Amino acid sequence: MEFAIGIYLALASALFGIGAIGFLLRRNALIQLMSIELMLNAVNVLLVAFNRVHPENMAGQVFAFFVIAIAAAEAAVGLAIVISLFRLKQTVETDSADELRY
Amino acid sequence: MNAWLLVAPLGVLAFAGLGIMLIDAFSPGRAELAGVTTTALLMAGLISVVALLSGVDPGELPRSLRAFIAVDHAGLYFDVVICAGAALSALLAGGYLKEHHLERGEYYVLLIFSALGAMILARAVDLITLFIGLETMSLGVYCMIAYRRTSIRATEGALKYFLLGSFAAAILLFGTALIYGATGHTDLAGIGNVLAAGGADARLVLLALALIVVGLAFKVSAVPFHMWTPDAYEGAPTPTTTFMAVAVKTAGFAIMLRMLITAFGDPLSASPETGWPPLIAGIAILSMIYGNVAGLAQTSVKRMLAYSSIAHAGYILVAVAVSYAAREQAIASVLYYLLAYTVSNVLAFGSLILLGSRGKEAVTYEDLAGAGRRHPLAALPLVIGVLSLMGFPPTAGFFAKYYVLTTALSIGGGMVWVAIILVLSSALGAYYYLKVIVFLFMKEPQAGAPKAVPMRSGYVAFALVLAGYFVIKMGVTPEPYLRMAVDAAQSFIS
Repeated sequence: MEFAIGIYLALASALFGIGAIGFLLRRNALIQLMSIELMLNAVNVLLVAFNRVHPENMAGQVFAFFVIAIAAAEAAVGLAIVISLFRLKQTVETDSADELRY
Repeated sequence: MNAWLLVAPLGVLAFAGLGIMLIDAFSPGRAELAGVTTTALLMAGLISVVALLSGVDPGELPRSLRAFIAVDHAGLYFDVVICAGAALSALLAGGYLKEHHLERGEYYVLLIFSALGAMILARAVDLITLFIGLETMSLGVYCMIAYRRTSIRATEGALKYFLLGSFAAAILLFGTALIYGATGHTDLAGIGNVLAAGGADARLVLLALALIVVGLAFKVSAVPFHMWTPDAYEGAPTPTTTFMAVAVKTAGFAIMLRMLITAFGDPLSASPETGWPPLIAGIAILSMIYGNVAGLAQTSVKRMLAYSSIAHAGYILVAVAVSYAAREQAIASVLYYLLAYTVSNVLAFGSLILLGSRGKEAVTYEDLAGAGRRHPLAALPLVIGVLSLMGFPPTAGFFAKYYVLTTALSIGGGMVWVAIILVLSSALGAYYYLKVIVFLFMKEPQAGAPKAVPMRSGYVAFALVLAGYFVIKMGVTPEPYLRMAVDAAQSFIS
């Protein structure tokens, strides 16, 4: 069967778009973190699918593993910052972070 | 000479980071970690200088290493700039953290690993290395901003930078995945070859190019991706702000040059009508105008320096935009600018640290009022720093701007207008730099306001003397530094 990259491209773009819209519209820091994870996973889908198109090496799949590992590290740091905000403000709404204005 | 010298700076920093973690674990609070960190960073920088001068053949290194990490002169040059910036930030931290009772070992570990990430990013010749370097650098910086956990402003600055930074990294990553799909390569040279041969879907390539430029413009805080800059700069502890302004920006521009010249150097992507040059020039114009105009209204010097860093990103982007044509000259002027900008910024932020004391930072213009007349020696570095950022001769900043201007003018055409905007907007920016000097020497503090007393710290004084020496030296005799930049620029082209 012919490998149809178009479907995967559409799927990845849709996931990425949902993540981006979620990031921009929601004001809850945790939801925004989840949206970023969704965007990174869209990239993983794309990388693995593209590896089928370029089967001469495993670069795409290896890249996807690195993305997964780094996404975990990023989530750890992000959650630490959100906890630190919660301790000071008792909320995780990003709108409440409004001290820094000129 | 052994070829491993070319990658030794990275190894030194990696082991130094681990070593400092061990020292801090076994003798908490006793060792002079600022000194250890600075020594390690200066040593890594020195190794890079030695490797630059010795002319080692990189061909002796294994191919598997060279496929991921650049071992060229440009990489070593960026090592020098990043190590210098990070070492000076570590010195500033040595004074600042003690003064504010924040002295904990993890700060130096984060700083050193962040610097390592910046160096990996500046040397990345593969999309995978690029992403690892970018995140190693950024994750450290997020933590260094949020370092003062009881401060709502620090946490807020870190949250804003973290959310927008991760968002931008995801956009960049989507772009790299698309370019991998279009060409089948993750190494920049391979991507460049396929694109030059015209063997890729032009729609995918242009979309990937746009996403990658957006992601990188965010890291160097160029308009319209600058929203986080003033907040993160103001909320962060000042040594972190210094590190962000110098090392993060240097690494960002390094990878931007590598991406645009090595990977997207083909006639279609680098076309002055439809490729990245007009896109970068547009971002440069917006950054120069916005940074200088918005900087005028600030009451906080730290925030003003954040807007100044946006404006400087614009000036450097002018040189990046013309790198499609006047290659060697344009790249060399970017490299020279980054070095000059690093030392000038350390001087400006360092003297802000010096002038604020007893738990209170000097952040607003009001805090500085009259400090120059009461403590002329402590105010002198701030004066030299802002003059250099303004581009006043004979300082490093003057030649940096001069080289960018002559490069832009040598291209002619539309770039002449960009050069005119550069001159006009930096004239506008001179207002807020001079305002610092006016407050230092010509104003008196308001009645009853606390008077700033300069802190006594050998670390901060040493950092200021070192940075001040290079600001003046690069302004009086720029030739050796320019030669070094030209030499590094050549490794981009071949």
